[in-house]
Amino acid sequence: MAEFSTSIKEKGEVSIINLKGFLDAHTAPTLENNFMQLINSNKFKIVVNFEDLSYISSAGLGVFMAYIESIRDNKGDIKFTNMSDKVFNIFDLLGFPLLYEIYKYEEEAIKKFFGS
Amino acid sequence: MIKISRNIISTQLQLSFVAVFLLFIFKLFFGSTDAIYLKIILDILIAAVTFFLLLALIRFENNRATAPLSLIMNVGILLAIMFFIITFSDYLMPSIFDNINLKLKNPGLVYNIVSVFYILVFVGLASYFLQTLRHFFYLNQGRSVHIYFNTMLVFFMLASLSGNFFEAENVSFLSTTFFVVSVLLMVFNSIRISWIAFLSKKEKIYLLILSFVITILFIVNITNSSGDNIHSQILNAFSPSLKQFNLIIMVYGSIYFFILFFTTLFHLPTAEAYDRKAQEVNSLQYFSKLITEVLDFTDLAETVTDIAQKLSGSKAAWIIWKNGTEQNSLAATNIGFVESGKLTKQILERINFEKLTSTKTFNLKEKIVEGESENLFSVVSVSPIKTRGETQGILVAAKGAGEIFTKDDLNAIETFSDYASVAIENSWLLEQSIEKERLEKELDVAREIQRKILPLKVPEFPSLQISSVFIPAFEVGGDYYDFFRISESKLGFVIADVSGKGISAAFIMAEVKGIFESLSKTIERPKEILIKANEILKDTLDSKSFVSAAYGYFDLIEKKLIFARAGHCPLFLLRDSDSKQIKPSGLGLGLSVTDYFEQTLEEYSIDLIENDTIVLYTDGVTEAKNELLEDFGDKHFLNVLQSNINLSAEELSNKIIREITLFSSNHEQYDDITLIIFKWQQ
Repeated sequence: MAEFSTSIKEKGEVSIINLKGFLDAHTAPTLENNFMQLINSNKFKIVVNFEDLSYISSAGLGVFMAYIESIRDNKGDIKFTNMSDKVFNIFDLLGFPLLYEIYKYEEEAIKKFFGS
Repeated sequence: MIKISRNIISTQLQLSFVAVFLLFIFKLFFGSTDAIYLKIILDILIAAVTFFLLLALIRFENNRATAPLSLIMNVGILLAIMFFIITFSDYLMPSIFDNINLKLKNPGLVYNIVSVFYILVFVGLASYFLQTLRHFFYLNQGRSVHIYFNTMLVFFMLASLSGNFFEAENVSFLSTTFFVVSVLLMVFNSIRISWIAFLSKKEKIYLLILSFVITILFIVNITNSSGDNIHSQILNAFSPSLKQFNLIIMVYGSIYFFILFFTTLFHLPTAEAYDRKAQEVNSLQYFSKLITEVLDFTDLAETVTDIAQKLSGSKAAWIIWKNGTEQNSLAATNIGFVESGKLTKQILERINFEKLTSTKTFNLKEKIVEGESENLFSVVSVSPIKTRGETQGILVAAKGAGEIFTKDDLNAIETFSDYASVAIENSWLLEQSIEKERLEKELDVAREIQRKILPLKVPEFPSLQISSVFIPAFEVGGDYYDFFRISESKLGFVIADVSGKGISAAFIMAEVKGIFESLSKTIERPKEILIKANEILKDTLDSKSFVSAAYGYFDLIEKKLIFARAGHCPLFLLRDSDSKQIKPSGLGLGLSVTDYFEQTLEEYSIDLIENDTIVLYTDGVTEAKNELLEDFGDKHFLNVLQSNINLSAEELSNKIIREITLFSSNHEQYDDITLIIFKWQQ
């Protein structure tokens, strides 16, 4: 039904995943593949840009949970940026802001990787 | 059945033996005679022997159902034997009897016995030839043409006997007339030989040679026996009718096989085309049967290559199948997977997989040169197998060095690949629908689990109106709620939403129910219960799954509601003066380790006053969508609640469900909807 797509671009050591469309149980495997690719090529500094994401379901949230541990074990992180209010609310309800760094803009998140 | 037919054979054989016996007796008593009535009796006896022998042979052959070609072979062998007997009778008979010419005129006892045996051989041969020719006649026609054959037999009789009885000058023309009519009937009954059409080319060539030889043999035997040799004399002396009958059968035989020879000759050029057509029809019949039978894709693929290989007369065939982004060879017939894999690689370099729309053929650049398979294949044909308008596979047929694909081969294989496409598409659709059915069954199970887990009715509790609504989504959404009577004055409740959908969500729900049911019996404080629940779920859930939950209890005596929220939707408190959304901090269950979970979890307490309305819900409510994919939303929800603040708990929940239904009437419900409303009445 709903469409979902991702694109990955590199900025220095940081990989940025752009999400677009509807992220739910049916489309989640696409994003899982992206994370697996990045981890397999030893890229652990990841920024996820939510600018074009219209909807995320609980199964979509699960994708981030699945990989965060192994990424942090490798001194990397997943940082979120450009969330719409609606998407942020979903993250917020579950307490994701307590577990992940969420930034307004992509550049802030990238800077954080280099800053600290 | 078999027993009965055996009985019939013996009855007819017995009758012919009786007739032979009578013939013996007759000869012993009367020897050679000129009396007309004795001649008639003799001819009747011979006719009886022939008739019963013929019947016995017909029965015998009908039961054996021998192939036409072997019958023809038998005829050939018997003709050769006949030829030798006739030829050697010239030398043999005089050596047995001192003066054969004298014996013929004045036979003795020994001669009579020998001559009966001698003519029996020829009666037998004539009967066999007649039986075989009759067999071929009926092979050709239906059963409704007895009249043609039987008429001919009557004329055979007339022609045979007339020679004996109408010797007088004025009636001798009768004998000639009967003979001519017989010959005409033979020709009439011999034309339109259709049974040879079903023979293969090889068999037709074989038949051509045989029929030629047999025609010659028949003619040779005719000339041999119509001369003035001993054989002819013996027969003539015994019974001129028998001699005439023998001649007629031989003429019939030569005419039939002469016509057979030319018919076969004319069939020969089209024999190959006929062979191919027959094979095509066979293959397609076989295949259309398989379309309905084959449930397994691998079996189907193997059948496809097997038929393709036979149909195109190729050495080997296989399918190149697109599997995601890879192309593999499968169902290789008459070729190893390694070899077909190598050839596949070569083929894919030459053609564009997606753009192959018709059958093509080309020579292989490098032939297989490893080991024994050297120069095994030099030319291949490739045909697309299309499903849903896309080239999904390629049917490959390969021929050896020096061979080519003819236009007919390519046409056959192209037609066939179309059939194969349909079959493979069917197989695929079938697999899809089986998968769909399986998923639906699974969802049925999930819905059943959910139905059993959720409370049947809301509890009755003093000072509290309670209403709950649950609307399941098609794919079980994982909503769970429950009430726990902790004590006379305390009522606990939980509302939760499991991440994911379907059967896996249903199983987690069952686990969550167990956790809260047991924890609520031993622990009172909502925060502690949620901490414990997180601890258990963090261990048991996989890293992708989590559960949002809110747990709390009403205290009648203290007039309080105490609750904590683990990542669940906020709670609404409706009060005349001050309606608000209450969202204490808290992570979803299963997201984080105990320490951090505990640190971030807040417990919230509300001092209840008369008509306070508390609303709990899952995201199915606020994320209900309209046709523009807009959410029902928090604000809309709160507006509806506030403007209906005076309704009872039951009325209010009905009102909200109506609003949601109205809002999302043009969009399928995607997630479970759960709504619980408490109204404090103290």
